Amino acid sequence: MKPKQRAQPPRWAERFLERIIAPHLREETLGDLDELFHKRGHRYGYSKARLLYLVDGLLLLHPRLWRRNSTDLRFHTSKPAPIAMLGNYFKVAIRKLNRHRSYTLINVLSLGLGIACAILIFTLIKYHLSFDTFHANRDRIYRIHTEFHGDKVRYNTGVPNPLGEAFRKGYSVAEKVGRVAFLPKRVVAVSPEKKFEENIAFADPDFLNMVNFPLVQGNPQTVLKDRNTAVITDRIAKKYFGTDDPIGKLLQVDDSLHVRITGILRDLPPNTDFRSEVYIPFDNLKDHTPWMVEKDWWFSVSDDMQCFIRLKPGVSAASVDNHVLSAISSKYYNKDMAKYFRFKLQPLSDVHFNPKLKGHTEKKNLWAFALIGLFLIMTTCVNFVNLATAQALGRSKEIGVRKVLGSERGMLFWQFMAETTVIVGLATGVAFGLACLALPLVNQLFEIELSLNLVKDPYLLTFLPAILLVVVFFSGSYPGLILARFQPVLALKGRLSQHQPGGFSLRKSLVVTQFAISQLLIIGTLVIANQLRYSQQANMGFRKDAVVVLPVPDNKKSKINTLTAQFSELAGVENVTFFDTAPASEDVGSTGIWFGSRTEAETFSISIKAGDNRYASTFGIPIVAGRDLNPSDTIREYLVNETAVKALRLASNRAVIGKTAIINGRKGTIVGVMKDFHYRSFHTGIEPLCITTRSENYSQCGVKVNLANLGPTLAGLEKSWSSMYPSSIFTYQFLDEEIDRFYKLDNMILWLIQAFAAIAIVIGCLGLYGLVSFMIAQKTKEIGVRKVLGASVPGILWLFGKEFFRLLVIAFVLAAPLAWWVMNGWLNDFVYRIEIGAGIFAVAILITLGIAVVTVGYRSLKAALANPVKSLRSD
Amino acid sequence: MKGTQLGEFEELVLLTIALLYDDAYSVAVVETLGQRLERPMSLGAVHRTMQRLEEKGLVNSRFGESTAERGGRRKRLFTVTAVGEQALQEARRIRNELWDGIPKTAFGHLS
Repeated sequence: MKPKQRAQPPRWAERFLERIIAPHLREETLGDLDELFHKRGHRYGYSKARLLYLVDGLLLLHPRLWRRNSTDLRFHTSKPAPIAMLGNYFKVAIRKLNRHRSYTLINVLSLGLGIACAILIFTLIKYHLSFDTFHANRDRIYRIHTEFHGDKVRYNTGVPNPLGEAFRKGYSVAEKVGRVAFLPKRVVAVSPEKKFEENIAFADPDFLNMVNFPLVQGNPQTVLKDRNTAVITDRIAKKYFGTDDPIGKLLQVDDSLHVRITGILRDLPPNTDFRSEVYIPFDNLKDHTPWMVEKDWWFSVSDDMQCFIRLKPGVSAASVDNHVLSAISSKYYNKDMAKYFRFKLQPLSDVHFNPKLKGHTEKKNLWAFALIGLFLIMTTCVNFVNLATAQALGRSKEIGVRKVLGSERGMLFWQFMAETTVIVGLATGVAFGLACLALPLVNQLFEIELSLNLVKDPYLLTFLPAILLVVVFFSGSYPGLILARFQPVLALKGRLSQHQPGGFSLRKSLVVTQFAISQLLIIGTLVIANQLRYSQQANMGFRKDAVVVLPVPDNKKSKINTLTAQFSELAGVENVTFFDTAPASEDVGSTGIWFGSRTEAETFSISIKAGDNRYASTFGIPIVAGRDLNPSDTIREYLVNETAVKALRLASNRAVIGKTAIINGRKGTIVGVMKDFHYRSFHTGIEPLCITTRSENYSQCGVKVNLANLGPTLAGLEKSWSSMYPSSIFTYQFLDEEIDRFYKLDNMILWLIQAFAAIAIVIGCLGLYGLVSFMIAQKTKEIGVRKVLGASVPGILWLFGKEFFRLLVIAFVLAAPLAWWVMNGWLNDFVYRIEIGAGIFAVAILITLGIAVVTVGYRSLKAALANPVKSLRSD
Repeated sequence: MKGTQLGEFEELVLLTIALLYDDAYSVAVVETLGQRLERPMSLGAVHRTMQRLEEKGLVNSRFGESTAERGGRRKRLFTVTAVGEQALQEARRIRNELWDGIPKTAFGHLS
């Protein structure tokens, strides 16, 4: 008869039962099941027996099965619990780490780097999520914004200026309606000599009641009620008046407005988007910027003219959108325009995050950071696992002795976990230190005010132990299990190594993960860097160097003419122009257009810039048809770009010349066509644009200068400018600097990804080093024998190299498509973008290859050069 | 007296333990009872009943030898205690008295 393998009952069921059966019943019950199984197997065949085994197992389930027998209990508690050994575990752990200093150092450093990044990313995300969450009833506070429904939908954070009043008077869904106009960079003067640039806000008293900015001085009931008063923050008060009592003091805002301070606000918290520190009654706006509050003018919407409301409890935002705000549209516009101008509520919690409405930070960026943080933590855990398993081999004798003396698997496991906890604890300390050191850098980079304060921040206080536990668990459990599984006899003989089931393949996949993460980050870095270089060097379609941009605080005709004359006299000045926005600016407004004798308004909207007759020549924008604008102070003539001609469905540029157009409600003649230029950043495409001489909007002055003799020219500009505007502060900026600001966020992301990629690579190197040490420790004898038999040094190097080369290629195959997909998504944000070429992937794999060769090569070269006598002598 | 009160299944198991005398362990009880009652027995039910009997003091148990077909595990052997025997006698007495009390004509219509 053939020797037949004994049939076995289903192993998983047996294991399960073994786990749940009370110890005093375990042996007999499992024995019974086994016996029945074999008897039935003989009688009816093993498949039926197996089924009946499961049925019996199921029918056994009953509280009696796991209820412990009270008399038996004492025998089972005599097992020493890991708790009892805890002190000893830590003592041994500290001795051990002290002995292997380089191992400890590598681990603490790599874990520390990873955890430090995690701490920073956590703080950053928490900071952004906390924006404007401290206002009372914040879930009922909304901002009304405008949507322009042309051929596509555009968004604006502001509303037409009469809307706030119309909403308050006509409808009763809101408890409070606060109009507020945010005007950045105004000059506030205490005395003619003492003046400062501040962001100011003209606000209804309701606005200050809605937001949670408490007054430290002044009466909350009356503040901002009277005209020509002001509320400033404590910080500003200190800056202006030192220790003097600021209440009742006078301030001059720009040229036109004088206000008396009636209240002091507590300093603004860092996590609010309302950054204005000087509040003035809304009614004063018409003394300061009359064009913003033109009476009953519903057709222009400025980003800065905003309206906040607090709904009554129980009123839903959707119902306000659908009934109240749409009713406002139809009441104040004709039928066509009511379709075009639509107003919606935006929850306060969305204000910080919505990119369409000038949100500061996109949530998807935050989650991308969180993902990168997770990646980093993963690579550092992988590292630890690699190093620890390599190290475990050197401890086989210790484990053997412990096992012989009666340690059980569980105890050895917990001993290793204690060791891991010590390392990770140290690393967390280091990480916190590193995070504190890096914090000022991060703050500077993002222009934010993060702080790491363990005592005041309960979130951070819970995050640290949580991440410690997670890292201990993920990095300690696998090596712990490996360690505890050593067979004592083999361990004592030092014969462990080659044959560990499953162990090495797991380590391989860990290395693949690490390689893949590094490559992903490298590819990301390369793509972002290339795209940014492309956008910063590409031709924008106008001249951006050698143009100095100055503010124009007062655009009265006489002042502009005098200034032009004075500037033109200066030696280095080639051209002078006045306008509202520079050629490339995100602040450009847009409006509807009614062309020629057509019966209906066009469905597209056209961007509009105010600029004088020297705008095109100063910025070097070519006129491809017709002529440049004639000098004028009012809207008489328009310049349009080529895209606008196409949007008007005209065959040639000439066809548009001489036609009339009503743009933004003002009639004028189109006299010329400009060549298309990028009037926003490369994130957006070129859309229809017109330029007209609307002098009341001029707020900036562009001066084309000769770069050869810049110093005296700038001094001359400042002198003329300051004598013209004695109450203002002279600032200037080069146009190319201003354009670089568009890519500030992208540059920030690039910087961060570079930092993260570098950290991932450093951590990865440490891990590789560990793994190679492990392999070499295993193969010392093999190398010795090979060398004795005549193997060459390069041959032995290749022995190690080919393994890593294979892993690297596998990682690349995994990382490359993923990286392509992610980066392609990012590039889709840019209308003018680079293509991801094979070169980027080649560079990425070469970089990782180079790093691997250096790390692996150093260690394996040492092994290959070692004298075989040394490695073979010990046997 | 509570404690010596026997359920029907308990009585059957106890009787089987007595019947098997020297080799009374759960698998043997399952098989014997299964044959006699001509219905399949679940090991779980028998186990729990035997535990209950032991808690009531009607049986004693000790570990027996281990065999290969049990995966090297020992079996638990049961013997009926004096209290157990008394309980069985009591149950039998009550039944007998009841049988004796049945009038001859009660089952008459069946014959």
